[in-house]
Amino acid sequence: MFERRDEQLVSKALKGDRKAWFALIKRYEQPIYQYGIRMTGNTHDAADLMQDIFVSVFKSLANYRHEGAFKGWLFKIAHYRCMEFYRRKRPQQSLDECPEQESEEEAPETGILSNESSKQVLSAMQKLPIAQKAVVELKFFHHFTFEEIAQQLGLSSNTVKSRLYSALSRLKLDLEVENA
Amino acid sequence: MRNPEYESLISKWLENKLTTEESLRFDQLCLEDEIFAQRVANASRFTLAADQFEQLPLPEWNKEATFFETNAQPRWWQRQWMPMASMAMSVVAMVMVLSGFQVQMTDGKMTLGFDRGPDEKEINQLVAKRLDEYKESNQLLLTQYMDAMAKQQQENGAQLTQYLLSSSRQERREDFAELVKFINQQRTDDQRFYARQINDLEQEIEAIGSTYSGLSRPLETSHE
Repeated sequence: MFERRDEQLVSKALKGDRKAWFALIKRYEQPIYQYGIRMTGNTHDAADLMQDIFVSVFKSLANYRHEGAFKGWLFKIAHYRCMEFYRRKRPQQSLDECPEQESEEEAPETGILSNESSKQVLSAMQKLPIAQKAVVELKFFHHFTFEEIAQQLGLSSNTVKSRLYSALSRLKLDLEVENA
Repeated sequence: MRNPEYESLISKWLENKLTTEESLRFDQLCLEDEIFAQRVANASRFTLAADQFEQLPLPEWNKEATFFETNAQPRWWQRQWMPMASMAMSVVAMVMVLSGFQVQMTDGKMTLGFDRGPDEKEINQLVAKRLDEYKESNQLLLTQYMDAMAKQQQENGAQLTQYLLSSSRQERREDFAELVKFINQQRTDDQRFYARQINDLEQEIEAIGSTYSGLSRPLETSHE
């Protein structure tokens, strides 16, 4: 079946076409929800974040300049909304450097996953600092290039590579422990 | 500890952009550098785990709340061309005013043009028309002035006549009064004259009487 391009759907949605907007949502709600689960560690926050992201995307649709893929622009907004989510949650904590605090309350909802490997990945990701977690998420789960990630996060390409490298060292330890 | 070479190699490896030389270096490091090898292994494992990550079903969520009517197509009078059209029309109107644009309707024909001022014939006609108007107005003023003068002269004549009549009448009255006064004066003088003469006469008579008193009884006379 013929599928309209994202840009066409955006143009129609801007003209008030509800169908086009809901087609866009249908196309991206699953990746955004999974992004929310891995970034927040639980389904409730992920659902809230997804709602927040799509509201923000709709409000910003007129600012979409068709420079680059819509998916990249969508995840750029998703990243900003996610950072905002963390700021609201922990206003005193730096988003760049401080790792996630481990606690019983903050433990990820690994029980919702049936796959053991997925549980390990989710658990390992929650122990990364948010800045590194965002790079890992975009690289491994959404397969963006380093240039695209740098553009989305407003960083240099080298900083993104450095963050991924650092994240790999932390993930390595965690995965080894989890696999032990 | 940051190692730009390691970061670059792993980054390129993840995006399949390693050159032949970089591939050789990458393989060498995997064999010789345990830490690098572990990171590469971990990246491989994580890539695989990510691809197999369990997709949780979507919850029921309020998609309708993400759509706002504010993004709807504006009505025709709210579209962006309206301000532009308004501005363009304003500019056209200003140009028409400043350039003296004229629309003339003559015998059912409409003529559009720009006002470049009247020609010589029109100027002459205009001057002649103005002169005629000036003459007419002057003529009218002169007539009015003459009428006013005549009227004023008539009034002055009437006043003079009235004055003369009244003054001559008074003079005559005064003359008669003088005459009567003179006559009265004359009469008074006459009476005095006659009274004096009568007195003189009386005195003479008395004198005569006294002369003859001895002779006879005195003559009795009375004067009022």
